[in-house]
Amino acid sequence: MTKGIKVDPRTKLVIVLCLSTLGIVMENVISLLFILVLSVVIVIVFKVELRKNFNKVKRLIYLIFLIAVIQSIFSPEGNIILSVGRITLLTTGGLEKGLQFILRMVIVIISAAIVTTSSSREIVQGLVQWGLPYDIAFMVALGIRFLPILTEEVKDALIAIQLRGIDIHNIPIKRRISLYSHLFTPILAGTIQKAQRLSITIEMRGFRAYERRTSYLVLKMSKWDYLFIFISITFTFLCFFYYFR
Amino acid sequence: MDFIELKDVYFEYEKDKPIIKNINLKINKDEITAIVGANGSGKTTLGKLIMGILKPAKGQVIICKKDICNMTLAEIGSKIGYLFQNPEKHFFCNTVEEELAFALRFNGYDVNYINGKVEELLTLFQLQDKRNDSPLFLSQGEKQRLAIATILINNPEYLILDEPTTGLDSYRKGILIDILKDLIKKGVGMTIISHDHFTIEELSHRRIGLKWGEIQYDERN
Repeated sequence: MTKGIKVDPRTKLVIVLCLSTLGIVMENVISLLFILVLSVVIVIVFKVELRKNFNKVKRLIYLIFLIAVIQSIFSPEGNIILSVGRITLLTTGGLEKGLQFILRMVIVIISAAIVTTSSSREIVQGLVQWGLPYDIAFMVALGIRFLPILTEEVKDALIAIQLRGIDIHNIPIKRRISLYSHLFTPILAGTIQKAQRLSITIEMRGFRAYERRTSYLVLKMSKWDYLFIFISITFTFLCFFYYFR
Repeated sequence: MDFIELKDVYFEYEKDKPIIKNINLKINKDEITAIVGANGSGKTTLGKLIMGILKPAKGQVIICKKDICNMTLAEIGSKIGYLFQNPEKHFFCNTVEEELAFALRFNGYDVNYINGKVEELLTLFQLQDKRNDSPLFLSQGEKQRLAIATILINNPEYLILDEPTTGLDSYRKGILIDILKDLIKKGVGMTIISHDHFTIEELSHRRIGLKWGEIQYDERN
C-alpha cells in the first residue's frame, strides 16, 4: 500500500465488504456518490492500477449502461421526461433508478479492485487463516488461477474460427448464434481435460487436501490492520445508523 | 513474387522486452521457407504476426501487396492456412466429419461439394475410421493430421505450419511430407516453423534462423 505499511489481504477484504455493502444498501444518489468518492480515494491510497482494471471490465461497462437504460424505461415513477404518444419512455424516477444502478455497480467494481493489490495466494491464505476449510479455499485459488486462462481460450477460439475463413462480423445473426454455440465444445471439453490433468499432476506431486496443513506463507496482522478494520466497520455502522434512523 | 512482406516489424508482449526486433523479410510463394531457431527465439510470434493474430507495435505486414491492418482475420485466413502449435485450437465440433465440413458449411458451400471434400481429406489423412469420433479424444498424431486437413479444406494459396510434425511417428511424418510435396507441386506455397531438421531438410528451399527476435541467417539451397 503506502510507504512502509503492508496491509493484510484480510483487511482489504473487510474494506471491500464494507464499501460494497454500503453501495448496495444505500439508495440515495448523493449517498452513493459519497461512497463512490470514498472508494476512489481508498483505491488511490492503495495504489491500484485503475487503468489496467478498467480495461478488464470495459465490456461490462456497456452492459451496465444497457441495464441502466432498460431500468429507466421500465420504471414509471416520478414526472415524465420523454414519451411517445401514450407510451412513457423516461421518467425522473426511472432516471434516478438507472443512475443508482450505475453508481452501485461502479462502487462494487472499484472497491473490488483493492483486493487485486494482493496476490491470489495471499487472499486464499487470508481466508484459510479466517477458518475457511482448505478444500474450499483451494478451489477458490484454482478458480482465480484458471479464470484468465479461460478468457484467453475464448479469444483464441474466436481467432481460430476466423482464420478458417469465417467472417463472424459479416454473417447473418442466426448463423452467428449457431457459430457461437460451437465455442462451448472446445472450451467445456478443454476445461474438463485441464481439470483432469491438473488433479493427476498435483496428486503425483504428493498433494492432498488434508485438513491439518503447514503453510510456508503465514499472514500476521499489524496494529495498522486492526485500526483499518476498526475504522471500516465503525464507519459502516455509523452510515447505517445515520441512513436508517 | 513477394507473397508476404515484413517491413521493420517490431513486437513486444511486455514494455521494453522486444520479441521481434525490426525484422525485414520478403517471402515468395514459389518456395518453401523454414523458420528455425531455439525456444523463445520468436518463431511462433513471427507466424502470428504474419497471420494478423498479433499486431506489430511498429512496422507493417503486407500480404499480396495489401497491409494486413486493412484485412480481416477471415480474409487472411482464406488466403493463408495457419496451423496452430496446439492442434486442439482448431476443433469446434463433435465429430471429425463435422469438423472438416465446419468452415465450408458456414461459408454456404453446396452439400455435395462439402461431402466430396470431406471424403477426399479423410482418405488423404487416413482418418476414415475416425469420422464419427470426437476430435478432442483422438491421439496426438490424429489430432495433428485432422488440424492440417481442416486447413486444407479451404484450398488456401499459402500455408504457415507451426510445428506440423509434432506427435507424428516417422511413418506418418513421411506421409505428411509427401502430402506437403504434392501441395507444393500444385502451387501452394508454405512457411514451416519447426525444430524437426528432417522435415526441414526434406521440404525447405530457404532457411531463416531466428535468435532473440532477429534474423541470424537467411540461406537458400
